[in-house]
Order: sequence, then C-alpha cells, then structure tokens
Amino acid sequence: MGKAIDLLQGTLDMLILKAVSLGPLHGYGVLLRIQQISGEQLEIQQGSLYPALYRLEHQGWIASEWGESDNNRKAKFYSLTAAGRRQLHSETEKWNRMASLIANILRTTPEEI
Amino acid sequence: MNLTRFRSWLKWMVKRQRLESEMETEVRFHIESRAADLVGKGLSQQEAMRQARIEFGGIESHKDAVRASVGVRWWGELGSDMRHGSRLLRKNPGFTAVAILTLALGVGANTAIFSIVNAVLLHSLPYRDPDRLVRVFFNEPGLGLRDVTFSKPELDDLQTRSGVFEDVTPIFEGSENLTGTKQPERVEGVNTSFTYFSMLGVLPQIGRLYGPQDFTPGFAPEAVISDGLWRRGYGADPDVLGRTIRIDGDPLTIIGVLPRGFRHPGPTTSGDAEVFAAGGFSGAPFPPPIRGNRILINGIGRLKPGVTREQAQARLTAMAAQLRHDFPTDYPPQAQWTIEIQPLQETLVGNVRPMLLVLLGAVILIVFIVSLNIANLLLARASGRQQEMAVRLALGATRDRIVRQMLTESVLLSLFGGAAGIATAVGTLGFILRFVPSNVPRLNEVRIDWVVLAFALLISMLTGLLFGLAPALHSAKGALSSAIREGGRGSGYSTRTGRLRDVLIVSELAFAVILMVGAGLLLRTLRDLLQENPGFNPTQVVTANTWLGVPNDPKTDPYLGIPGKAAFDRELLRRMKAIPGVELAAITSSLPSTNSNPNAVGGLATEGFAIEDRPVESSQDLLAERIRISPDYFKVMRATLLRGRSFTEGDEDGKQPVAIIDESTARQYWATRDPLGRRVRFGQDATEPWTTVVGIVKDIKSDGLDVDGVPHIFVSTYQDPSKQVSLVLRTTLPATLLEPQIRHEIQSIDPGLPVFNVVSMNDILDRSLALRRFSADLVGGFAGLAVLLAAIGIYGLLAYMVSQRSREIGIRMALGAGPGGVLKLFLQKGIVLAGLGIVAGMIVSASTSSLMGSLLYGVRPHDPAVFVIVPLLLFAVAVLASYLPARRATKVDPMIALREA
Repeated sequence: MGKAIDLLQGTLDMLILKAVSLGPLHGYGVLLRIQQISGEQLEIQQGSLYPALYRLEHQGWIASEWGESDNNRKAKFYSLTAAGRRQLHSETEKWNRMASLIANILRTTPEEI
Repeated sequence: MNLTRFRSWLKWMVKRQRLESEMETEVRFHIESRAADLVGKGLSQQEAMRQARIEFGGIESHKDAVRASVGVRWWGELGSDMRHGSRLLRKNPGFTAVAILTLALGVGANTAIFSIVNAVLLHSLPYRDPDRLVRVFFNEPGLGLRDVTFSKPELDDLQTRSGVFEDVTPIFEGSENLTGTKQPERVEGVNTSFTYFSMLGVLPQIGRLYGPQDFTPGFAPEAVISDGLWRRGYGADPDVLGRTIRIDGDPLTIIGVLPRGFRHPGPTTSGDAEVFAAGGFSGAPFPPPIRGNRILINGIGRLKPGVTREQAQARLTAMAAQLRHDFPTDYPPQAQWTIEIQPLQETLVGNVRPMLLVLLGAVILIVFIVSLNIANLLLARASGRQQEMAVRLALGATRDRIVRQMLTESVLLSLFGGAAGIATAVGTLGFILRFVPSNVPRLNEVRIDWVVLAFALLISMLTGLLFGLAPALHSAKGALSSAIREGGRGSGYSTRTGRLRDVLIVSELAFAVILMVGAGLLLRTLRDLLQENPGFNPTQVVTANTWLGVPNDPKTDPYLGIPGKAAFDRELLRRMKAIPGVELAAITSSLPSTNSNPNAVGGLATEGFAIEDRPVESSQDLLAERIRISPDYFKVMRATLLRGRSFTEGDEDGKQPVAIIDESTARQYWATRDPLGRRVRFGQDATEPWTTVVGIVKDIKSDGLDVDGVPHIFVSTYQDPSKQVSLVLRTTLPATLLEPQIRHEIQSIDPGLPVFNVVSMNDILDRSLALRRFSADLVGGFAGLAVLLAAIGIYGLLAYMVSQRSREIGIRMALGAGPGGVLKLFLQKGIVLAGLGIVAGMIVSASTSSLMGSLLYGVRPHDPAVFVIVPLLLFAVAVLASYLPARRATKVDPMIALREA
C-alpha cells in the first residue's frame, strides 16, 4: 500500500458520485468500487466516506434506501438522483478543464515562454 | 439553505434518534463486511475485526462529522453547552440568584411598562377599521383659536358636501342625573348624532342601538346603556329593554345594552360613559340650524374607504376656503376659519405619550444597567476561568466554539431571568396598574399579549447578549500559553480584562447619570408644583358636587332661569352654613384642578367676550374662562382680592351685572388702562346687558397647578347661573364625616339630586398631580436603583483589583510604599472611572433632556441645580464605593501577601 496516492482534497465527493452512478451501492460497496476502478491505487480513510455520503444526500445529489446486501444483511444503498447526475456532469467537466490546464502548465518548457 | 437541504435538516431534527441508530447500523455493517473480506484474506476473526476498526478510523469523530455535514451538530453542542451552563449556574447559587433576581426585576419592569405602552399607544382603537376614525377640529388660526364650536349646517357640510366622510357626529359629554334608582346618581352621559354607533361599528349585547332610521330633529326618546350600568343598576336583567330610565329628568326608553368591552372614545377622567342618547340638533330644543348657531362640539368622523387622511385634509381645506368665500359674514376673513382632521387615537392618547415614553426609556436604561452589572460579574468569573478556556483552546476547541459556549451560558441566564421577569409581570400587572393614575386612557385594555411577550423575550435576549458578549469575546481571545503557564493565579489585573471592565463601569455610571437627571427634573417639577402658591389655601376646605340636570324639555326644568337657580343656591348655602363645624360655604361652577375635560357640558372652556368701546375683529379674539361663584368664594378659598370689591348678596338678578377679573385678565386685556368700572359681555348676542368689572383678584390656578396665565372672569352665580354646582366649605372636619350631612341637606332641597366627589381640596390637588407623581416616583426609584448598582459595580471592580494585586501591593509596601500611596493608587482608579462616566452621562443628558420638555413645569430641561447636584451626588457615591476597597488595600500584610504568592 506504500505506493498508494492520498486522495486530493475535495475529490472524494466526485468519486462517490461516479461510483454510485454505475449502480446503487452501500457504503462499503462505494469503497470497494472506488478501489476497484482505481486499481487499488487510492488510499481512502474508510470512515471519512460517511460524512461525505451524508453530505451528498443532504444536498440531494444521492438518495438512500435500505435493502439487502449480497450476504443477505440489511444495508443502506445509495443511488444517484437526477440532480446528482447533473452535478457529476458539471464536476467532471470542471475537473477535466482543470486537469488539462494544470497539465499544460506543467508541460511548459523554457523555450515556450 | 434550499428546500432539499432544509427538508433533510428537518428530517434530522425530527427523527434524530432513528437516524442516529441507522447510522450506527450502517457503520457496523461496513466494519463487519470489511472484517469478512479480511477473514477471506486469511486473518483470524478477531484480528480481522481489529484491523477493520483501525482502517475505519475514529467512529465517534466520523459520526460527528456526519452530524456536522447535515447541519445538526450545533444542536447537540447546544444541548451540551446548556447542560454545562446550567451546571455552572447551579454551582454558583449566590451569583445565579442575584443575576436572575435583578434580571427578573429589570425584565419584569420592562414588561409591565411596555404592556401599558402597547395598550395605550401602539394598539389600534378597539373599533371597526380604527385607522379611518378621525377627530375633526374647526380652527380659527387668524385668532389663535383651535377646536372652536360648529353649527348644524357645518356638520351637514362635513357629512355630504365634503364627500370624504362615511359618518360624522358631534359628541356632547357630561354629567347626567340618573334618578329612579335607590339613590340619585351622577353618570357620565354622551349625546351624539344617530350615526354614532354605526360609525364606530359597535353591535349591542342585547336589544338594539340607535341608528339613522331613528332620526328626529330634536332629542330622541331612546337611550342605550353601558354594560356597567346594566349590571350595577339592573342586575344584568335582560328585561331591561323597554324600561324607562330618567336622565336629567327626561324619561328615556332603554333600547339596548352595549357589549362589555365597549368604551366611548373620549376623555376618560370622569369614568366611562354609561348613558348614550341621540339628537338631530336641528329642531326644538335646539336653536334654528343656521351657520351662526355654533352649538356643536367634538366632531368625530369615519373617512370613506380608500380616502387617505391627506386627501381628506386637502378636500376639507378646499371646502373651508369655498365656504369662507360663500358666507363672508359667517366667516370673517381675518379668522381664517378652517377644518383640520387628526387620527382619533392621536387625540385620545397624545397627552400621555411623552410620559409613557419617558417611563419606557427609564425602564430600558435600568435593564441596561442591570445587564452591565451582570456583565461585570461574568467577566470577573471569566477571568477565573481563563485557564479552563486556555486548556480547551489548546485541546483544539475553536474560538467561535468557545464564544458560543460562553454565550449559551449567558443567554441561558437571561432566559431564566426573562422567564422570571415575565412571570413577575404577569402575576403583578393588576397590582401595578392600581398605581397607575386612572387618567391614563385605555388602561382597561392593558394586557400581556404576544406583542408584550415578544418584547419581553427580546429584552431578555438582548440583555443576555449584552452581558454575555464581553466575557465571551474576552475568553476566546485569551493568550493560550501565558494563561496555562500562570495557572490562572497571580496574573494580576490584566490590561485587557481591565479595559473591558472599565468600559462597563463607565457606561453603567453614564446610564445612571441619565436616569438621575431625568428623575431630578421630574422631581423638581413636582416639588415646584407642590410648593407653589396656587392662589388659594386648600387646607381645611372640603368640596362637594351636584348637577342640576339639563332636561331636553326646558318646561320640565325646576331650575330654569336665573331666579329659580338663585333660590336654590341661597337655600343650599344656608343649609351648608348650618352644618356644625362648617365655618363658611360658597358655590363655584368649577373647582380648581378638576377641569379634565374642558369640552364637557359644564366644563371650564375659554369663551369669547367683548370689551365695551374696544374695536374687535371678531367676538372670539378676546378669550377668558367664565367661573360663576357665590359671594364668599374668595373668602372660603382665602384668595387675595387685590382691588375693588367682592360679590355681595345684592349682586342678583335685575341688578347691574358685575364681574371680578383675575390678574391674568387684567394684564392681558387692560395692560395700560384701569379695568375697574370697564364693561364686558360674553357671547355674540348684542342684546345682552354689559357686565361691569368691580374687582381684581390674585390669580387662582383654576385649570390645574401646572397651567398658568389663563384669563378668568368671575361672575355672580345669582346673575349667571350654572347647572354645575360645586360646594367649597371651610371646615376643620374631614370630608368623610361631612359627606352624609351634605348629602342629606342637598337631598332635602331636592331628593332627585346626586351628590358626588365629596373630597378635601388637598385631595383634589393631590389627584391632579397623580400622573406627575407616578412618573417622578417611578423614574426616581429607577435612578436610585441605578446609583446603587453603579456603586456596587465600582466597589466590585476595585475590590477585585485589590485581591488580584495583593502580591504587588505587598511588594510595594515591603519596598517602603506607605498606606497613603496605596490608598491613592486605588482611589484614583475609582475617581477616574467615575469622572469619565459622569462626564459622558452629562453630555448625553444635556443633549437629550429637552425631549422631556413637555413633562416639566417651572424647571428648564437644563436646570442648573439638577445638572450640578446629580454629578456631585454620584461622584460622592463613587468615591465612597472606591474608598472601601482602597482602604482594604492598605491593610494588606506584605509578609502574608508575599508568602502566599
């Protein structure tokens, strides 16, 4: 795990939205999915998922529902709402713009100035 | 907060417990799932659970973050702050009791006074659409006259021609004789147009009220009675309808009873109006309805819906101009006759507004002082808690969190105090109202309603913030390391805390000065009024009243004309003088200081008169109040006849009419000539005989102790009779002892006459000052309390300083400082603070005391005596309050102080 990357500030919300956009998940499922998609590269403080989940639900971007997990236990499943979909879309766009901008800046060589 | 978030927040607030347990379940599920996965990777069950918990992190802190993320964490914190706060309050019962008690008094006084202000000044009048009710004044600004009488055609102009009124009515208020019951009774009666009740929007309790359909040009034979009279006189018998009631001898049929809460919107000094009757004011016994017959008074109207007061006023001004143009003989141009309207509420309560506002201001000042005092106590405590706060800050508490905690404690304190205050006010309001002079209008409407409660809550919250903010901010700013290191001990009197406490003390003193100046001015006014010679000697004078009645049909009047009335007067005086213990007796139409309603029938109002051989612009440009007296009046009152002669028994009907004027009249109308022997004539009727001035008397304060310079003309009651008969008896006996005899004698002459208000002249004067006395006493009491609190504040501050600096004092003394030097050190501090506070207070007082101008009499708002005595007195108190702790400082034993440190 030594080579894992700490999560950038403020990106957890975005990752959660992305994770549940692929289908309803319970809290632990969100963690597993993010780790799975990231190829186990991301280090997430597990407990900090929950304040983020509740915040997103509070904002109305995800909705929750109690259901049954794979091992037949009671679990709370989160799914993306319409507002959440819009939010994810705009966050993604913002992120992409930002990323390419930063990348461009970092690519700059002395000759280009 | 948008709707989604609000809904989510609300869900949390309401279903908190379920959501908390769901959160618990969710976290447990997470950890157990993770553990199951770890077991799958080969860990033992126990090891897996441990690992899963570690990976999850601090469960409670994550849960707390969840609560914060949905905006409910502060709620939980508030709860713990409140628990913490109330624990602290319980731990210091002495401090808590003092704080809550003083707050309860402050908030209670505020609540009580505000409930009066609310009912009297703020509430709309209790009638339908009260904002459309106006009082109509007819003025002649060219002659300096306001509220002159008006005629039936002018009333019709208002009603139809102006187009702005839905209804208009004149109102006659006055005494009436109610006979036919056990004892003849004087009641307050009201005569109006037929539209009076529909204008006010009143419905009867039983029966019906008169209305336009009852119109008759003269007096209608029906009466409506008040709920009070119905209960008192008829035992609330529903069969009262159709019964006959005798009012001033006239038989009237009772057609309805007014609802319990109804009050006539007029002056309330002589009690509630109880009998209502209507008239058309155009047929007998009224004079012909021509413009010159200005017999009507007290116009009240209801504006049409949608007509603003400004529009109505513009329309009425234009109409008055048109009338002046159309009827130049009725409206001489120099009089500039015009019509003015004012909100009815304003005319009813305007006279008590300044007093009530001053009381409200005083009571708010006192609550400020109370909270400054508590702030000081809290600040002292906060200094003691510096270490606690420093530790909390060091452990990661944010500064706003600490401010919030401290504020929660203060607001908790203020809410307790406020609740106690409101409870006090609710419980004692009835008791308090008994001390409020009854001539404050609308007192029966005083209630603790939600507006009052909101105000009380606001005041307690404000005081909580006021006294909580200073220590709270102070705590949060505490310098961490030093406080912890010093361990909260021996740190002495830190400059920062010190400055804050100094500011509190200075403001407290300044507020106290403002209250004291106000109280000083009011008390001096009262003292001047009590000490001033009213122009007569009120001691050993007993007064009594009767009302001879004005029947609608003059033929039934037993006291019609001059001879009938004079015979009554003579018989009355003969019987009064025969009562053992009565030295002298006289009659007047108006007792001094009783004229609460000059517009009432029989009230003392200025009248126009003419002086012979003197060109006059209009009959009304010479004005005086006419008082009818019997020959011995000045002797009974011990008034000073300056020149000429008094009336004699010979000044009667058929003889030359005579008058005695007072100094004011002489000064105003005969500045350069000798008035004796000159002739005057009241009214506009040129066929009336002239009256000759035969004497000049020193001014008698007939209109009230605080009214100066109104010209009076006394005439002989044998020549110019009045239906209002007031007796003045010079006697050493008390009024209560004389009352049965007076009643017996009067009713031996005429069993139908009521006898009322048998009181001593001193009591009358006392009552006339009731309102002033009430406000002066109240503000004076507040001022005394303020001085006490300010003294406690200074004392407390210096005593605290002395205890904090005992080590420093010890060192100083060990190094050779004498007691004098130590004394000076602390005394100086107190004196500087007192000086600053007093100067600040004096500046504010000097710039605001003129607001009290209308409440003062004989004292200027910048009265030098008050402005010298107040600062000196307060300064002396402050020096004393500083001296006590300063002297204790000199008693510090250097050895003990140093060893303890």
